[in-house]
Amino acid sequence: MSIVQPPPLSAARIRRVTVMQGQVEVSSDPHVELTTVLGSCVATCLFDPVARVGGMNHFLLAEPPKQDEAVEFDSHYGLFLMELLVNEMIKLGAVKSRMKARLYGGANINLALSAIGTANAQFARDFLRSEGIEKAFEDLEGQQARRVHFRPASGLVRCRQAVGEDNSTQKPVMRPKAALGDVELF
Amino acid sequence: MTQATSILTVDDSPSMRALLLAALQKEGFIVEQAEDGQEALEWLAQNDVDVVITDINMPRLDGFGLIEQLRASARHADRPILVLSTESSQEKKSRARNAGATGWIVKPFDAEKLATAVRRIAH
Repeated sequence: MSIVQPPPLSAARIRRVTVMQGQVEVSSDPHVELTTVLGSCVATCLFDPVARVGGMNHFLLAEPPKQDEAVEFDSHYGLFLMELLVNEMIKLGAVKSRMKARLYGGANINLALSAIGTANAQFARDFLRSEGIEKAFEDLEGQQARRVHFRPASGLVRCRQAVGEDNSTQKPVMRPKAALGDVELF
Repeated sequence: MTQATSILTVDDSPSMRALLLAALQKEGFIVEQAEDGQEALEWLAQNDVDVVITDINMPRLDGFGLIEQLRASARHADRPILVLSTESSQEKKSRARNAGATGWIVKPFDAEKLATAVRRIAH
C-alpha cells in the first residue's frame, strides 16, 4: 500500500512551463515551475538566491562526423544557450557572481552509441568551471532518462527517473543557419 | 601585403573570449582581449587597434558605456566598434547606434559573417 500525499494547497496555482531542447526560460514568479525530460540532453538550473531569480536551459550538442576529428562538437551552440540563460536572468535582476548551478541529464541511454551524454555533461561542467559559477549539485550521466521540475523563484529542484515518458528530444537541434550571426551595420 | 587587421574583443565570459579568439585568429586577425569595458578603456589608452568588438552585459562598465566613453575621446572618435550580443531588440540596437556603435551582430555568431563585417569596417 502506498500513501498518496495530497498536493499542497498552492499547487493549483502553479503554472508549468516546459523547456524544450534549444530553449531557455527564466522567471522570478513563485507560481512558475519549469519542467523538462532529459535523455542525453543536459539542463542547467541556475539560481540567484538573493534576487530569487532562476532559469533553465536544455541542450544537446551535436557530434562531429566520425571522419572529421579536427572539428569539435558544436560547443558554440551550448555556449550560446548558457550565455542566454545568464543574460536573461540578469535582466530580471540576478547577478552572475551570485548564481549557483545544478546540472541534470547527460545519460548514455544507448550504450551501442558513443557516450554523447557524457560529452554534453562534460561541456556543462567545463563551462561552469571556466565562468567561475558555483556548481551546487549535479545528477549527470548514468543510463536513465530524467524528469526535472525546477521552481525558479525558490531554487527548488525535483528530479526523478523518467520511465516510459516521451523522450522526444534526442536529436540535436542545429542552429538555424539563416538567422545565424546576423550583421547589421548602422 | 598589408598588415593583418587587429581586433580588441571585450567580453566578461572566459568561454566567449576563448571562442572569439580561436574564430578570429583562424580568419587571420590579430586578437587582443579585455574582460570588461573598464579594462578595454585602460588598454585603449595605451594601445591601438583597428576594430573593437564588444559584448553588452559586463560588470564595471558595460558595452553601451564603453562606446560612449570611446566616442567622447578624439583618439577613438572614428574607431569601428561592433556590438556582439545575444540581444536583438530594436531598442537595444537604437541605443547602441545612438551611442556611436558601427554595427550590431547577434549571437550565436557565424565566424565568416563576423570576419566579413570586420573587413568591411576596418579602415
